[in-house]
Amino acid sequence: MPADSYAAAIPVGELSRGQASGARGERGSGTQNPSLRGSVAAQGNRIDDTTLIREAQQGNRAAFEVLVRHYDQSVLRLALHLTGSEADAQDIHQDAFLKAYKNLGSFRFECSFYTWIYRIVTNLCLDHLRKRNVRKEDAPVATDRSGEEYSLIEQVADGRSGANPERDLMRRELGRKIGAALSKLTPRERMVFELKHYHGLKLRTVGEMLNTTEETAKNTLFRATQKLRGALLEMR
Amino acid sequence: MKCDWVKDNIVFYVYNELEDDARYEVEQHLGRCPACAAELKTVRKFHATLSQAPVAEPSPNLLAASRMRLQEALETTTQGGFWQRLVFDPGNWMRQMRLAPAMVAAIFIVGFGGGIAATYNFMSGRPVIVGTNPTPDSNTSPLEASITGIRSITQDPGSNQVNIKYDTVSTKDIQGSLNDQRIQQLLLFAARNNFNSGVRMDAVEKLTQAPNENNVREVLMYSLQNDTNPGVRLKALDGLSGFVRQDVRVRDAVLQSLINDTNIGVRMQALHLVEPMKADSTVRTVLTKLGQTDDNASIRSQAKAMMAQVPEMD
Repeated sequence: MPADSYAAAIPVGELSRGQASGARGERGSGTQNPSLRGSVAAQGNRIDDTTLIREAQQGNRAAFEVLVRHYDQSVLRLALHLTGSEADAQDIHQDAFLKAYKNLGSFRFECSFYTWIYRIVTNLCLDHLRKRNVRKEDAPVATDRSGEEYSLIEQVADGRSGANPERDLMRRELGRKIGAALSKLTPRERMVFELKHYHGLKLRTVGEMLNTTEETAKNTLFRATQKLRGALLEMR
Repeated sequence: MKCDWVKDNIVFYVYNELEDDARYEVEQHLGRCPACAAELKTVRKFHATLSQAPVAEPSPNLLAASRMRLQEALETTTQGGFWQRLVFDPGNWMRQMRLAPAMVAAIFIVGFGGGIAATYNFMSGRPVIVGTNPTPDSNTSPLEASITGIRSITQDPGSNQVNIKYDTVSTKDIQGSLNDQRIQQLLLFAARNNFNSGVRMDAVEKLTQAPNENNVREVLMYSLQNDTNPGVRLKALDGLSGFVRQDVRVRDAVLQSLINDTNIGVRMQALHLVEPMKADSTVRTVLTKLGQTDDNASIRSQAKAMMAQVPEMD
């Protein structure tokens, strides 16, 4: 028989439904370059993706869920850093993958799934940024589920952070400045800068995700950095 | 002025977005120009400052909660019309998979065995590939065999064990003479279904050497009428030539080919094959018609010539 079916039991630590607190995700450390890790993982999974996508396009929801697992952490990471809010990040995560699920039929492998899903995510992020443009002060703090604010900068694994209040204060101050500077960018400039600076994507990829050319992405990055440098100087 | 160009590109240099030759030029210039070197320092400082808002990894809680929420939403999301509207394009799919022709044929069986292989008895229930069937080695990494799809993913309630059912394709070898039934079955299958025309042609050729069997004739006729590759069709014609005299169905199939085939070589060969059958009134009718109305001058003249030799019977 050319096709064999295997049933394999694989223990998975993080798949515990109904127990949010019991889930063990990957190590949470903000200091490494997570974008590299994400993109390497994406490269290795591309062959499996093709099979999963075909399956999902046939209506196999389980296959879609496995496919989602390849990308959802980096999508969340992007949305979280961009919006600064766990609730907003979750909304973007939800909307992006639901949209992907509904439109999977129109995915024709003309680009990688990674690019395709990120295109959806960046568009949602842009929408978010446009809606939020009214808010001027945009410090990189995040609100957790209970509404408490915590500084994203303090997420950096630094055991000594509690011991040096002065440094914390400086960090928080800096965080506010950075946030304020970033808020001066247009949504597209912000998006390009975010993807390039914080997630290490090549401008060519950024262009693809924003449905534009590498050249345009380059110009946008240039403008963004000029604005940011100016803003930071003003705040001195 | 060079400094302007370098200043414009320092940002891209810092972000590693310059082409190699541009990067080289910038580096060369920076070595000589203190003003631009200072600018570089400033940009680097800017880069470091912005990096002080590092990207945090989403907390495990957030990740798990997001996944759960998505799962619930997916359950209520309608799939329906979207999936049905999608036209499954097997040719394109196979090209995407880039599998060897035999594997592809095997997948065809899995997906469409019922539809395509209707005439073949051996399809119903029995394994297609007979021969040594190695028992699945439980230690073999599932990724070593090619995975064609994942059937289901379930979780044992209350445990952290996940069950995954997935399909794989494995390639097998078989040897035998043309008299061997199993060999014939595979050849028949290959002639009808294979994605690679070279393999189809080989199959048809071997079949023409195979002993006289009804199945073979049917497949050759099918190939003659349906194969997209004219070389394969010609081979099929060769194989059928022995039966034109004795089997009316074959004769009709060859006539069909003479009238309808898109390839002139195939048509000429078909014409050649029916020539000795002029006693058949159907053949005569066809030849007459072709001699009068066919688009191709060669066919017309040959058909006319053939008919001219026939004594007036009608």
